[in-house]
Amino acid sequence: MLSPASGTGQFFTKSVKIIRFVRQGCTNRPFFHIVVTEKRRDQFMPVIEQLGTYDPMPNQHNEKLVSLNYERIRHWIGNGATVSQPVEQLFGMSGFFPIHPTSYLAAWRNRRVLQEEALKEAEDKSKDKTV
Amino acid sequence: MTLLRHISQKLLINNIKTDTRYKINNTCVACVRLLNYTPKEYDTKTDPAPLFFNKEVQSLLKSLTRVEVAKVFKKRKLGEKRLGDPEFKFMTQEQLDVKLKKAQQKAEELLQIPPVLAVHAQKNKVYSQDPALQGLESSRFVFTDITFGVKDLDRLIVVRELDGTLKDAEWELRNRVNHVYFPRSGRSLKPPRVFEDGYLEDLLNRREYEFVLDLACSQFEPNEKDYQRVTSIVFQHLSDNDGFDLLRSTRHFGGLVFFLVWNKSIDNLLLDLIESSHVDEANKLMELYGKIHKLNYEFDGKLKAVRQFIEKDSTKRGALELAVQAYEELQKQKEQLESGIKAAHGIL
Repeated sequence: MLSPASGTGQFFTKSVKIIRFVRQGCTNRPFFHIVVTEKRRDQFMPVIEQLGTYDPMPNQHNEKLVSLNYERIRHWIGNGATVSQPVEQLFGMSGFFPIHPTSYLAAWRNRRVLQEEALKEAEDKSKDKTV
Repeated sequence: MTLLRHISQKLLINNIKTDTRYKINNTCVACVRLLNYTPKEYDTKTDPAPLFFNKEVQSLLKSLTRVEVAKVFKKRKLGEKRLGDPEFKFMTQEQLDVKLKKAQQKAEELLQIPPVLAVHAQKNKVYSQDPALQGLESSRFVFTDITFGVKDLDRLIVVRELDGTLKDAEWELRNRVNHVYFPRSGRSLKPPRVFEDGYLEDLLNRREYEFVLDLACSQFEPNEKDYQRVTSIVFQHLSDNDGFDLLRSTRHFGGLVFFLVWNKSIDNLLLDLIESSHVDEANKLMELYGKIHKLNYEFDGKLKAVRQFIEKDSTKRGALELAVQAYEELQKQKEQLESGIKAAHGIL
């Protein structure tokens, strides 16, 4: 029988727990559940509890929707659950954790690429004018 | 002759058609709104809530609603829901009394007046500003707290903007996101197009006031700007077109009266009450008006207060005076008739 996406609530007391993404959705349409599960379990095995969702595809208003059950997240972190890096980044963005260093790095890289592109365009334009 | 009439009618229609086309092409005319009512929201400077929830005001509004049980339980437009066949039962008087009491309780529930509140202020708390996050994302993030048992109003919904600021979501977004995660029946993610000007005008011209107000009630919160825009336009249209009877014995009549009193435009309602010789209700309306605008009227069980209102505060003086005169003449004639009958019977 399929276990519910909201979780089975069954776990070993002394096992290592982790708060992580589970990819739901389908081909070309990612959608993530944020769940707490045992670290040694596979991504698609039954989870302990679902803690939220993350829709990485922007909607028509150009927003990415994230829902987080802060009460349960606090509970599981208090019980010693670790948090995977992508989820840590998301928590950082939400103001629940400090901003993850990789977010700053990625932002900096993106800005640099944009600057380079802008410079290139300006150069191309000036070249066109001289020719 | 008929041929001539037909041709002239066609000509007229063509003329109208070209006229409208001309108007649409002309940008100056096209920018004029079709519905020429300006929405009147309750602003936060003068909050109507304390006055509206006042017990005396509530009882006045309820008595002005003029409840008819048959009208409260009339057939409604329920869409796909079908009513079952009616059931007929034999009952003793006691059983009947119990049933009637239950029906009255239900009617009271159905006639709860939607609360009148000021439009809510914008939430704009900024939690953090981090310009170093610029360029990380190309769309903004909306974070919603879905903790169990939190009310829609208190739910924490924050937005990470493209420039790295983390701040509270605006109301429009809050409503949308609340509906995504906690949908309510009777509400849709996008407000129905009924509330857009063109469609709304059509509905108002068909006098579907109750339908629009019911829909607005289920779609919006009472302190939303959109709700107050729609209801204020409906109320103004209704008052100008004498549709008061359509809203009597519905939950919206109290809101209508409060709106008219608040905006000092009760003349049409008063005229309607006097013409239908509901003097006690006219007096109650004057009492309400005095209470909300802090004016003192003298009540004598007849039309004294109304007279004072007509002299000082009315905008439709002529019509109201005529109506009062007509009412008094009618009263006099009735008295004469009664005394005549008594004389004929030799009572005197």
